[in-house]
Amino acid sequence: MRMAFINESPKTKNSASAYLLQDLKLLFLQDDAIISDYNFNKPSLSKEEMEQLKDYDIFVFSFPLYFDGIPSHLLNCLIQLESFLASVREIDIKVYSIVNCGFYEGHQTKLAIEMMENWCSKAGLKWGQGLGIGAGGMLPMIKNVPLGQGPKRNLEKSLRQLANNILNGSSGENMFISPNIPRIFYKFAAEMGWRKSIKANGLKKKDLSIQR
Amino acid sequence: MKLIICDLESKCFEKIFSDLPDDTMVILYDESIHHCTGCFGCWIKTPGVCVIRDKYGDMGERLSKCEEVIIISRCCYGGYSPFVKNIFDRSISYLHPDFVIKNGEMHHKRRYKNKIKLHVYFYGENITEKENLTAQKLVKANSINMDCNVGRVLFFQSIGEMEGQIL
Repeated sequence: MRMAFINESPKTKNSASAYLLQDLKLLFLQDDAIISDYNFNKPSLSKEEMEQLKDYDIFVFSFPLYFDGIPSHLLNCLIQLESFLASVREIDIKVYSIVNCGFYEGHQTKLAIEMMENWCSKAGLKWGQGLGIGAGGMLPMIKNVPLGQGPKRNLEKSLRQLANNILNGSSGENMFISPNIPRIFYKFAAEMGWRKSIKANGLKKKDLSIQR
Repeated sequence: MKLIICDLESKCFEKIFSDLPDDTMVILYDESIHHCTGCFGCWIKTPGVCVIRDKYGDMGERLSKCEEVIIISRCCYGGYSPFVKNIFDRSISYLHPDFVIKNGEMHHKRRYKNKIKLHVYFYGENITEKENLTAQKLVKANSINMDCNVGRVLFFQSIGEMEGQIL
């Protein structure tokens, strides 16, 4: 089974999307799956990338939620890929998508996942499953917490379920999770984080509220 | 003030709108736009302004001056076209990074006090029923996140059909 793990974060390092793929990859270590990594961090794909992609059995997309939907650079790539795949005979690719958002509730990624399902229908690909993850902004900060422990307990369960479905080539209901910490704690930590970051940039806390 | 965000080029746009009210700003398709890189600089480096120095760095400020926002977009998979979505993605400085809980969900706090009415006109030949439903839910979700009201949400099969139907 050949899988393309596609990180669509526009960030070149330290992205939640990349860490999620990394965690998922750990669950395939003992299987004979062949996993190749791709980065769609720009609004276009090369012909070479698309030629390679058509030969995979599985696509696993991982991207951040932008304004309730798919980030614009990824939309460009999806449109380009749809058009390329239209000229390819006999494609048999199943698509799984992991979407993370800065809000606590993973279900706020629901529409982005629906759009990925709609893309599959247009591009002639099969939909596998979607996983929506809340508090994505926290993931780079807890990258060293082992999967299944502390705030990553729900994440482990859902990634394991996703990995099983991928290995069996089966589809499943979309899943939506929040981290194993109280929402009030996440809100407080995020807001403290903004204050720390703005001060590190030489500005004051009150500058977070500047009106132009 | 009204703001029209449209993914058409000027020739096509002029066919739909022969006369625009005086207080109208228009953003038309522009391939020079850069995409959001997720750096949050518009919150923590230059609050209220995007750090990318192209023509779209001040989207938050522009939205703060509007009572009405009119979106004209090809419907792509139940969402906006890449250009229109790029404008949205580059507009997060309209919001404050802090959170509020609304209807039991986390959303961003307001930075500005203006209340926008959002009208969306989707077009496209092959919009499926599922895409149509996704798009309607999307506009609703956007209105919750921007804390604005939804006006008209209409679907057209072609650009020509929109003539005389908007404004």
